[in-house]
Amino acid sequence: MIVLPTGRLDAPSSEELKADMERLIGEGWRKIVANLEGVDYISSSGLRVMLSALKKLRSLGGDLKLASLRPYVRETFEIAGFTQLFKIYDGEEEAADDFRRGG
Amino acid sequence: MAAGTLLLTLIDKICVIMVAAYLITRTRRFCEVLDGRLTRENQAALILIFGGFSVFGTVSGVEIFGVIANVRDLGPMIGGLVGGPVVGLGAGLIGGVHRYLLGGFTGPACSLATVLAGFLGGAVYLLNRRRFVGVGGAVIFSAFAVSLHMLLVLLISQPYEEAVMVVRETAVPMIASNTFGMLVFAFMISNLMKERKTASERDEYLDELEKKRMELSIAREIQESFLPETVPEVEGFDLAAKSIPAKEVGGDFYDFVPVSEGRIGLVIADVSGKSVPAALFMVLSRAILRATATGNPGPSEAARRANDLIAADAKSGMFVTLFYGVLDPGSRTLRYVNAGHNPPAVLDGVTGEITLLRTGGLAMGVMEGADMEEREIVLCEEDTVIFYTDGVIEATGEGLEQFGIERLLKVTRDNSHLPAADLVRKIAGEVVAFSGDRPQFDDITLMVLKGRRSG
Repeated sequence: MIVLPTGRLDAPSSEELKADMERLIGEGWRKIVANLEGVDYISSSGLRVMLSALKKLRSLGGDLKLASLRPYVRETFEIAGFTQLFKIYDGEEEAADDFRRGG
Repeated sequence: MAAGTLLLTLIDKICVIMVAAYLITRTRRFCEVLDGRLTRENQAALILIFGGFSVFGTVSGVEIFGVIANVRDLGPMIGGLVGGPVVGLGAGLIGGVHRYLLGGFTGPACSLATVLAGFLGGAVYLLNRRRFVGVGGAVIFSAFAVSLHMLLVLLISQPYEEAVMVVRETAVPMIASNTFGMLVFAFMISNLMKERKTASERDEYLDELEKKRMELSIAREIQESFLPETVPEVEGFDLAAKSIPAKEVGGDFYDFVPVSEGRIGLVIADVSGKSVPAALFMVLSRAILRATATGNPGPSEAARRANDLIAADAKSGMFVTLFYGVLDPGSRTLRYVNAGHNPPAVLDGVTGEITLLRTGGLAMGVMEGADMEEREIVLCEEDTVIFYTDGVIEATGEGLEQFGIERLLKVTRDNSHLPAADLVRKIAGEVVAFSGDRPQFDDITLMVLKGRRSG
């Protein structure tokens, strides 16, 4: 499953993303790729949504992979140390391939 | 009776019905029933009101060509439509019994019809899921119920020939007057329901707004009450800090911890999330770090223990980015751990060089057992260290442009001659001016540490 959030991931839009993620996980999706090519800004609320989705998915044996991060967004992940936590790929295809290989 | 007089009499009756409708629909009991509060008291009150109205309908009947057109059925029908079968039946019985006692060969049929009209009104109420059926439904129902009334007169009353005559004379005026009366009532009822709905929606909205406002002010109070009131004196350094909470506070904080013998812990942090949850998480994180830092000169050790404690408590992905440094005025060293926080910048007053204080640590609360690497820097008399949160560099001006790290460094460089407190004020002022009229989305927190000649 690939999710494609776009625009600014600030406090209000993060709430929407959070609801979407919870719905997907509730529907049984376990391997999710977040393609962030359309995201030009992410706030700490956005990071938090990503983090709680990651924790939830890993506890269920799944994972959340990130793809196509713009430089600014990548830097935000880096500052918070989240690049150690998430698997990050150049494109959604690479991320999906990695899932297929069982990674 | 002349046609003109008849018209006047009818208008007269209609006015009375209108006034009665207005008065009845404005009673407290009636409004409570409309809101669905069908208590015994309210039902009894409506039975009396509509039963009385039914009796009034009988005695005020208009004589047309020797027979009487009346609105006796109207009260019980409305009672049933608004208050259910019990109210309809009760009001119908009052009106019906009264009619029965008046006698006459149509007496039994007419009184039975009135009771039935009330009961059927109640049935319609139940079928419509305990709600008033609306203007159209009420009018159609009343035409149907009065037709039934006429049918009963034909079926029951003897002699049949006279019954046929009565029905022929009164059917049209009866149906017309009752239906018109119902139209007046139903119209008022539906208006009243709309009014009450609007009012209750507005009240709910205001309540919600008030709650939100309370929440905002509580969060702000929590956050502000846990910021240090004074800045400690540090030998050989000049220190200042300031936090401007956003309307919806974001959990920023700074802190000064007396670590041990002259060493002082400097903390700047930003909790993820907003409002009361962020403020409470800020209080928790601050208390935990204080506890692990006090008496513990190694920042990495303190940060590791703090992270484990916070992670054990962090639900739903809450985390806090935090920079923690231990300043030793004697050796002029700052040993620090950066747990995912925006890297503070050290401006070398001589060369103008910038050093960012990163250690690549993970934000606190994310993962138990996370490693907290420690680094050290020596601060000269000419150095200026600027600590900040993302609210500073992500403050947006026109066209969503951000204040940015470059602008922050430029303001710092241009004003590095100022004392720390003035520099903090200057930067904060620049950020606020940059944002202009745009609302402040995130807390703005700044701390400045400047070296100065000892003694």
